[in-house]
Amino acid sequence: MATTTSTPTTEAPPEPPSGRRRGGVLPWLGVAVPGRRTYRVWQRNRDVFFQLWRAELMPPLVEPVIMFVALGLGLGTYVELTGDTEYIQYLGPGVLAMFPMFASVFESLFGAYFRMDQHGTYAAILSTPARPEEIIAGDAAWAATRGAINAALILVVMVALTPVYGLIESPLALLTIPAAFVLGAVLGSLGLAYTSQARSISQLTYFFSLFVLPMFWFSGGFFPLESLPGWATAVAWFTPLLHAVELNRGLVTGDIGWAHLGHLAWLVAVFFPAFWLALWTMRRRLVE
Amino acid sequence: MPAMIEAHGLVKTFGDFRAVDGIDFRVEAGEFFGMLGPNGAGKTSTIRMISCVVPITAGALQVDGLDVRYEDRAIKARLGVVPQDDNLDQDLSVRKNLEVYARYYDVPKRLARERIDEGLELMQLQDRADERISALSGGMKRRLVVARALVNEPRLLILDEPTTGLDPQARHLVWRKLRLLRERGVTILLTTHYMDEAEHLCDRLIVMDHGRALDDGRPRTLIERYVGRDVLELHLNDEERARVRAYLDPRLGESARVEQIEDVTYVYGLGQEHAREVEELVGDHYRVIDRRANLEDVFLTLTGRALVE
Repeated sequence: MATTTSTPTTEAPPEPPSGRRRGGVLPWLGVAVPGRRTYRVWQRNRDVFFQLWRAELMPPLVEPVIMFVALGLGLGTYVELTGDTEYIQYLGPGVLAMFPMFASVFESLFGAYFRMDQHGTYAAILSTPARPEEIIAGDAAWAATRGAINAALILVVMVALTPVYGLIESPLALLTIPAAFVLGAVLGSLGLAYTSQARSISQLTYFFSLFVLPMFWFSGGFFPLESLPGWATAVAWFTPLLHAVELNRGLVTGDIGWAHLGHLAWLVAVFFPAFWLALWTMRRRLVE
Repeated sequence: MPAMIEAHGLVKTFGDFRAVDGIDFRVEAGEFFGMLGPNGAGKTSTIRMISCVVPITAGALQVDGLDVRYEDRAIKARLGVVPQDDNLDQDLSVRKNLEVYARYYDVPKRLARERIDEGLELMQLQDRADERISALSGGMKRRLVVARALVNEPRLLILDEPTTGLDPQARHLVWRKLRLLRERGVTILLTTHYMDEAEHLCDRLIVMDHGRALDDGRPRTLIERYVGRDVLELHLNDEERARVRAYLDPRLGESARVEQIEDVTYVYGLGQEHAREVEELVGDHYRVIDRRANLEDVFLTLTGRALVE
């Protein structure tokens, strides 16, 4: 009785002029190159952040102080370093990378998961001219920005403490802020790639326990890695945080050399595949 | 005149599952077009393909003359989408939600401000501009999502079950606003499983089930095609039913037919005088409902009355 109007056509739809790609996706990359709407997505995250800034500002100001007191002044009195360096001074460059790392990772795990799965933020943006790649790139850029904001706030605390503890020895320390951005771009990309595979919030904690926390302890921020067995140092070399801590150590002390440029190059080199991985994995999550 | 939406043999599969299984339809510019179907009929998948959010699996789909496969950005710039779930930014104010959205379309700041004021007024939210989303009722949130979909002055407005979960007052307010938009020349595509909504709003509609199109046409045309003008709905006990069936059965044929669903008997296409006689046979007119046929009858006739799970 039902007169069906659906007569599946077998003929293929006309092919478009050459050079046009479905959704801008490049065949050899599997993703489109994010365009200027990346900035729009970044702006959205920034606006939400500044809406809540009172709540967001406290942790980066308080947490490093607690660590300086507990480890620098508490534990540090039992630690003897070569030369006339105090332990609290040894901690400084690490703190300037570790806490920004947490900020970037949190943003790309929990922040992104909520936007992707709970609040429909990604879905809302997807129906605008923004492409999936721009949402992902905007979120990665924002994760990096969170790291940089965090580093800037910690730097304020450290400058304030410098007259007493001599934490900052060079104006080059200002460059730890862009360094935190680079570290955040690497970790934010890896975090987004991981989040794209998560089916529940509780799965996000694995990234933390198995990747972020080991990085935190074995980054050379708390103790020189030379005291560990060779294989452990070798593994640590493959983690991003170590290179950020080493880079910061040069910037904070002003004792900078080619090795530090090498650490920066390591981070930049790792960023590209990490960013591609985030684009590719998250795109698949968003589009299907 | 070119169609606003034109689909030929449109297919969407997820693994082995064919969510949309080869549909053809055409929506003219300026039309208020409805997509009707139970949950899982393929309505949302179709909408997501039209709005270039998911790629099409096969077939052809053009929106405003553009191919969805290659012109995603250009198409999205001309669309306004009201999704099933409110995905507003909870942490931002009503106005800020719209400002952030206007930026995705590169609407210049001043123009955006004008359009936002206009949109808020149109949706009767101008007094709520500075409130947080959590302070809004369900109906206000829906209206805000519609206002958000208008910041780019879309040529095509797509609404996925826009009044689900709203109380009758809020629903009627949304309907009124949608009719107003149609008068202004916006083409509207709406999915719903509320038959009264489709009948009330749509110029034309398509009935879908299991990813296929069952039929399309004007609401009244479909009703007359499948059900006729009137329906007699009988709530009877076994003894009365036997009596009524004895009367009806010889009178059924081309135009009149009976359908028994659980404890309710539906009689379609029976003339007025016969209807009165059935009423007398039963004696209790509260259990004999003589009403005008509606889209719900069409829908249930086409898709079956069994519960779809």
